[in-house]
Amino acid sequence: MSYLSNFTSNTSHRATNIKLVSSIINTGKTYEYVDNGEPMRGGMKDVYFGPDKSYVVAFYRDKQDYNSRERLKKLVTQYYDSFFNREGGDYFKELYCWPTDMVEADGKVGLIVPAYNKNYFFKKGYAASDGIKGKEKEGLWFASAKFRNQNFSLRLDKSELGNWLSYFQICVKIARGVKRLHAAGLAHSDLSYKNVLIDPVTRSATIIDIDGLVVPGLYPPDVIGTADFIAPEVLATKHLDIRDPNRKHANRTTDLHALAVMIYMYLLYRHPLKGGKVNSLDTEQDDLLSMGKKALFIEHPTDTSNRPKLDQGSKYALPWADVNKLPYTITGPYLKDLFNQAFITGLHNPNLRPNADAWEQALLKTTDLMQPCSNPQCDQQWFVFDNTASPKCPFCGTPVKGTLPVLDLYYQFKPTIWKPENHRLMVYNNQYLFQWHVNRNVVRNEKLTAAQKVPVGYFTFYNGKWVLVNQKLTSLKDLTENKEIPIGTMVDITDGKRLLLSNEEGGRVVVVTMANK
Amino acid sequence: MRRLPVYLLLDTSGSMTGEPIEAVKNGVQVMISSLRQNPQAIETAFISIITFDSTARQVVPLTDLASFQMVDIKASGTTALGEGLKLVATCIDSEVTKTTAEQKGDWKPLVFIMTDGIPTDDWQSGLEEYKKRKTAYTVACAAGSGADANLLKQITENVVSLDTADSNSISKFFTWVSASIGVTSTRIEDAGKEVSGLGELPPPPSELNIVT
Repeated sequence: MSYLSNFTSNTSHRATNIKLVSSIINTGKTYEYVDNGEPMRGGMKDVYFGPDKSYVVAFYRDKQDYNSRERLKKLVTQYYDSFFNREGGDYFKELYCWPTDMVEADGKVGLIVPAYNKNYFFKKGYAASDGIKGKEKEGLWFASAKFRNQNFSLRLDKSELGNWLSYFQICVKIARGVKRLHAAGLAHSDLSYKNVLIDPVTRSATIIDIDGLVVPGLYPPDVIGTADFIAPEVLATKHLDIRDPNRKHANRTTDLHALAVMIYMYLLYRHPLKGGKVNSLDTEQDDLLSMGKKALFIEHPTDTSNRPKLDQGSKYALPWADVNKLPYTITGPYLKDLFNQAFITGLHNPNLRPNADAWEQALLKTTDLMQPCSNPQCDQQWFVFDNTASPKCPFCGTPVKGTLPVLDLYYQFKPTIWKPENHRLMVYNNQYLFQWHVNRNVVRNEKLTAAQKVPVGYFTFYNGKWVLVNQKLTSLKDLTENKEIPIGTMVDITDGKRLLLSNEEGGRVVVVTMANK
Repeated sequence: MRRLPVYLLLDTSGSMTGEPIEAVKNGVQVMISSLRQNPQAIETAFISIITFDSTARQVVPLTDLASFQMVDIKASGTTALGEGLKLVATCIDSEVTKTTAEQKGDWKPLVFIMTDGIPTDDWQSGLEEYKKRKTAYTVACAAGSGADANLLKQITENVVSLDTADSNSISKFFTWVSASIGVTSTRIEDAGKEVSGLGELPPPPSELNIVT
């Protein structure tokens, strides 16, 4: 019977299955949806496509109380407007799958949600079969080591995986999405690889399941989140009554725990708290303690009791499961500090967790430390320069050939006094220089204008030496040689060289150190 | 990491001959390929198939989804459900890892039982053995009018029934089993909260009747 109705929805009789539902926000506005009797079933909602599949109608199976209705109403009106109907709003449209309207039919509340972009569905999926072709790119596919192990039969095709740099860019987008929510006083409450779709191919991410947002002044939704991402204090107090003042609920700081876990997983393909330490002989109790009250970073520098036991895990989780071979420090100095803050000092002290902006900036600064691996067969293709005397790719072991210019950025603290920014730029062939390197008043974030995203110069290895070609810098000056470098000319990049990138307010000086000499 | 063991205890007695046994084989295949689309399930679920007719045997040991291969099964003989339950118990003993001070153990197993007839052996003694093992939940399915749902109620409170043991109903049952494994593998880790009964599983399709 159901086969028959499936059929009709795909043939010329489809019109018979189309239903109509009215907005409860915009009087007179209606939406069509296709009801073939078998909606997609989510955790709490039944989901139907619109006839052209550009949106879905998601009905709550359970009746929504006054509080929940008010929350949803605010999300599709007040918050929708403040996020998207103002300058810069278009950028955020790509970061969320935000409900646009609220409907009601037969006492059931529904949301109109835009359909996911095409790039969030697998083009190829598995390397060896069509099993997941066309399925959603739920984050877990990319956060687990198995699916990228060449010996695992259900591994993803290489064309789906992107390279290591892709995941830094994806994490930047997730961090920006979370930052914007928090800036508005909202908390997502259920950030996880289930609720963030990512696409390594186009290096994009979109946060879904927005309807669980915690809205200021209204009771939070009754979810405690997705396993793997629930903050320790929430797990440790979940046995208390929901209105008990000691019970910890989802809020901004629990989002920040989830964000840190997500970034760690997308860069290292393992969970930061799931190690070998047994906290109780009862399996359920052990899980509760290990992720809750007794949670411990698997890479804690001094307490090694929760290090993963490789002989107890799947061989397909290697090499990522091996924290000695691929320690979290391969993500570079900025992220190392934030991981320490998130999983050591802030793990049981929510207010010490790094905020989304700190993650965004650390991720971006880390991409300035990245080098392409010279081995075309390298799975990751990029790595973070480790500041050692003989640098090599931590993934495939290929040593770096030739010299590597390292540019340290300085800003003018007072006239004639320049201070380091704690920001460096690693040069590689055809590396670009941008406004945000040149001037400290230009911050690399989502507010950059199109003009600010155009490179102002590039580095290249030319006739056996490193040079910077000036494309747009009006006051570039070689301080070592005391010489102006006009647009359209180049300057040698040599050990100890000092360059003034701009003489405008906020303009920086860079000092060159030659590594791997 | 912790595994979610899943045991399917399937009736292969003579009355299953023809359409029903073919539908079971097909159902297992469809279930595996559907679970292979679910990354959580691939990470955690391990499946074993145990059949029973005049005797019981484990035809597929507890195997991860990626390596799972279905074997051919044939219908013949009587309905030794008791022996089947006993075998599930011994397989749980030998295959499910217990938590020790040194090693994190597996989650409690899920057990799905499907039968189309009345047991012909001393099933109560098998049940007694089975009940000594801890499971997250056991679901029993009475397939067609020859099965006794009330008898199955003594094994587990979670009993569903199919009006007829035809290929359409049986395939619906397996679709629901795979959805249940999918939900459980996702939720089992949610705060250590295990799914413990039918109420927390996806609603069964219309062909499945919940026996209350």
